[in-house]
Amino acid sequence: MKKKSFSIMLAVLLTLSVMLTACGGNGKAAPTAPATGGDTAKGAESDAPTEIKIMLPLNTSETPPDTIKNELEKLTNTKLTYQFFPADTYEEKLNSSFATGSLPQVTYLKNQTTFIQMKDAIKDGQFWEIGPYLSEFPNLSKLKPEILNNTKVEGKLYSLYIGRPLARQGIIYRKDWADKLNLAAPANVDELFEMAKAFTEQDPDGNNVKDTIGVVDRNELIYGAFKTVSSWFGTPNGWGEKDGQLQPEFTFPQYIDTMDFFKKLRDAGYMNQDFAATSKTDAVKMFTSGKAGLYIGGSMQDIDSLHKDLIKNVPDAVVDTHSMVAGPDGKFAQWMIPGYNNVVLFPKSAIKDEAELKKILAFFDKMMTPEVSNLMFWGIEGVHYTVEDGKAKPTEDKELIEREVKGYKDSVIGESETNGMYEPYNTLPGRIHAEELLLENVKVGVPDPTAPLDSATYTEKGVELQQIITDATYKYMYGQIDKAGFEKEVENWKKRGGDKIIEEYNAAYKK
Amino acid sequence: MQEVTAQASTAQPVLEASRNKNEVKKRIWRNRWLYVMIAPGLLYFIIFKYLPMYGLIISFQDYKPYNGIMGSNWVGMKHFNRLFTEPDFLNILKNTIVLFGLNIFIYFPIPIILALMLNELRGNFFKRIFQSLLYIPHFMSWVIVVSISFVMVTMDGGIINDLLVFFGFEKINFLLNPSWFRPMYIIQVIWREAGWGTIIYLASIAAIDPGLYEAARMDGAGRLRQIWHITIPAIRGVIITLFILKIGSVLDLGFEHVYLLLNSMNREVAEIIDTYVYTAGLRQGQFSYSTAIGFFKSVIGLILVMTVNKISKKMGEEGVY
Repeated sequence: MKKKSFSIMLAVLLTLSVMLTACGGNGKAAPTAPATGGDTAKGAESDAPTEIKIMLPLNTSETPPDTIKNELEKLTNTKLTYQFFPADTYEEKLNSSFATGSLPQVTYLKNQTTFIQMKDAIKDGQFWEIGPYLSEFPNLSKLKPEILNNTKVEGKLYSLYIGRPLARQGIIYRKDWADKLNLAAPANVDELFEMAKAFTEQDPDGNNVKDTIGVVDRNELIYGAFKTVSSWFGTPNGWGEKDGQLQPEFTFPQYIDTMDFFKKLRDAGYMNQDFAATSKTDAVKMFTSGKAGLYIGGSMQDIDSLHKDLIKNVPDAVVDTHSMVAGPDGKFAQWMIPGYNNVVLFPKSAIKDEAELKKILAFFDKMMTPEVSNLMFWGIEGVHYTVEDGKAKPTEDKELIEREVKGYKDSVIGESETNGMYEPYNTLPGRIHAEELLLENVKVGVPDPTAPLDSATYTEKGVELQQIITDATYKYMYGQIDKAGFEKEVENWKKRGGDKIIEEYNAAYKK
Repeated sequence: MQEVTAQASTAQPVLEASRNKNEVKKRIWRNRWLYVMIAPGLLYFIIFKYLPMYGLIISFQDYKPYNGIMGSNWVGMKHFNRLFTEPDFLNILKNTIVLFGLNIFIYFPIPIILALMLNELRGNFFKRIFQSLLYIPHFMSWVIVVSISFVMVTMDGGIINDLLVFFGFEKINFLLNPSWFRPMYIIQVIWREAGWGTIIYLASIAAIDPGLYEAARMDGAGRLRQIWHITIPAIRGVIITLFILKIGSVLDLGFEHVYLLLNSMNREVAEIIDTYVYTAGLRQGQFSYSTAIGFFKSVIGLILVMTVNKISKKMGEEGVY
């Protein structure tokens, strides 16, 4: 009985879906009556604003007022409905909207991870492929091909990306301490170690108490210090080629060298002892309270906020940034992100036909003009920012920006090189230095070869498996396991699905 | 003749039924405001507690959000099998049970003892002050509780380690040493919850007839005797009810709390079912697998509650249902 009703249900479902696809096919393939009707209608009201619904994550606590939106609508001739949802629970919102078929025409994801999770649905044809249309739009076609390539799914482009500098990582350090101890910025990993040692042992704050440490790190292998230092040691970014095959980074000897480096630092007391349990907040606090001298990893652009909080505690502190640290072989290297921190997708369930898709893409094309992207990224000139030396200087009223602009800021397509928006006007020397270093970083940048590749096993349990390696890495650095113990964990990783991931990535790599 | 009786006998119940129906209608009408008042609660449970159970279906599917529950593939017990064959499964289950045991055997009696002690405080002024002081931690989020203890016990300038060094002991790595995880966990639970847990006990103690105490005093019972023979028996029912309810939430140990304490060095003792659901399931969008684990957890909870309830009834207590 149960079986019977189930098969009936299935049959009903099937009929329904066939009907639906038929309808869909109709809309697309038959350009007869309805399409012409649509065209004439469009011709008649071509000045009427396009109505667009946009769903996106919100990184502030309040929904922004319509100040920016109103300007945006005027500039782009649209009628926009922004649906902001808190970033903390955005994944849930995304999934439930998806499950109920209520995704709006423009759907922002949250980050790379949500994008990977969405890949299944993309392959299933739930979203519009936009690749073929890009060339019709002068501004959208400026988007960087290498980054677009990283966002492709099975070689096809479905999304626009929100750009981020490729490699922002480096060191933020106490220049005043270094000057006092006659140290230059570390040129290689040995000098980095020496600096951590000197900052710990030579009383750089001059209070005659041994109360300072060198490096402060936190419980995060990727955005903490580990991965950045690891790339200086020459470890590949995520995956590297060995004997003509892609292998995960932790099978490379340089990875072990990096672990040894941190083990030595910790054993000697040159870094915070509890780094495996230290949150970002606590790590930052150790730096801004004047207790630690080297903040590694993260973004060098964070120097602004670190500096601001540090001089509250240590008024005469000087900070600087640095990222050119050579490995033991004398070579520079820096790992790079895939160049985007979020993407936008266009669900087929909300966009009926090509004409509508093009109208929406036209809106994004306008978003990539300097005028519109400045409005969204910086706000209204004279209210939220002023222009100095051709760069944007945000107003002192940080709260105003947070409230009115931040919500839109995170949704700007492309980056200033492609959309022509203002670069930030910086006054802090360390920050200006950081901006120069970002460009240097890219020159020696190491991409992750698996970024555009696909592995079903990785999508299914990559995160869970990575936990094995993360735990083993910390245990090694804390001296709880030795090299043999670490290798045993790598075997464990392989046995529980890692082998399959290697296999799948290599298969995709060779294509 | 027979027909007639047959008719009569069928007519009789019908009449009775209709009278009964009227009776029921009347009763409902008489208590209509009660029903109206019950409605929001009932709706709440239907909408938020019973309807979501429909979602359990996805633990037997390979659920894809865009296909919905109706469109996803059925895979039978696949996700349960995966859970049970997971190499860490036994360890995770053990950790969960150990923390649960700590909650039952160490934490559970503390609010009772506290309530008894508070009750012995004469003078309403002090009683209220102590009570308020005991309640306050409950209003701090786990994030704050865990950060406070981090600041206190960290090896990088935490006050407790500084004191240890001052008195000539070695520093202790509370945060990363697996053997310190459980003590830290239960101390934090006690610190945050014990005061709050006394509320119900204090309320039920307040309901005890003062005459009983007077009579006991007349018979020459001291304070301890009074507690033993009057207070504790009087709140025994409450204790058992709360105990059963606690058992019901057997595997709910506070995801947030454990997740905040969890790190790579203490995972072997700190990973519990809830945190595993988060890392293995939700962070990776594996809804079916996560649901299967949650389902498994609820079934254990249900079995435990029913067992304990039965035992308590056998022992002549009331139980929760």
